[in-house]
Amino acid sequence: MLRPSLTARAFGAAAGLLLAVGLYLGLVMVPPDAVQGDVQRIMYLHVPSIVTAYLAFSVVFCTSILYLWKRDLRFDAVAVASAEIGVIFTGITLATGTIWGKPTWGVWWTWDARLTLTAILFTIYVGYLMLRSFAEDPQAGARYGAVLAIIGFLDIPLNHFAVYWWRTLHQPSSILRAGGPSVAPAMLVPLAVNFVGLVLLYSYLLLERVRLERIRHRSAELRLKRGRRG
Amino acid sequence: MGSWGFIGLAYGVGLVALLGYFLRLKGRLRDAGEELTGLERDGGRRT
Repeated sequence: MLRPSLTARAFGAAAGLLLAVGLYLGLVMVPPDAVQGDVQRIMYLHVPSIVTAYLAFSVVFCTSILYLWKRDLRFDAVAVASAEIGVIFTGITLATGTIWGKPTWGVWWTWDARLTLTAILFTIYVGYLMLRSFAEDPQAGARYGAVLAIIGFLDIPLNHFAVYWWRTLHQPSSILRAGGPSVAPAMLVPLAVNFVGLVLLYSYLLLERVRLERIRHRSAELRLKRGRRG
Repeated sequence: MGSWGFIGLAYGVGLVALLGYFLRLKGRLRDAGEELTGLERDGGRRT
């Protein structure tokens, strides 16, 4: 428990290697976009980040349902760990999106449906983490958190379809769309490599963050035992 | 700021966020591990 598992270490090493290759491909090898020029290279971080954030919140959604069903704090430990990492990836998506928006749209931020729903997603899960940190009873915190996480997850399909349902400045999906990706195959390679790299990094961070929860639970148990004895 | 300035800023923000989170997590793991070791040692002495 006090050392990272072999699986975590393998995920971490593979993530580092893949991200180095993906960055080299995206920043050096792939030609600039015909319309946007070099600035489009931000896509190789922006798109894999939001897809990884969606994956992280999907894990929060599933483990929150499992927690409410089984009342097992191990599911809750995975949920809270995944939510924290999902917030980091959503923050990266928002930051890289605004940086990409300035040279392409002329503004850092606009209250476009896609951008607003991503900001709401970020706020929901920051709120989830705050709720968890303020709760004095772990079971009550886990229960309220699970309900918030399940409701908050509804933002993701809404966010995905926002570019089709409303008139937005943000372009429609270029990867997850009917008829296949609209991105040139040469650009798909660094996107895919960075996506796999970020998923491996997420897996590494998740295993480590869950390990932290396990250590904390064990410490809490020992403190409780000591309190009973004393 | 030119295109590469925006690219550097975007990747820089991503790197700082991920590296910052990773280092913070390592620090929390170290602190929690030290606390658990202390509690286990203390519990061992009592029994």
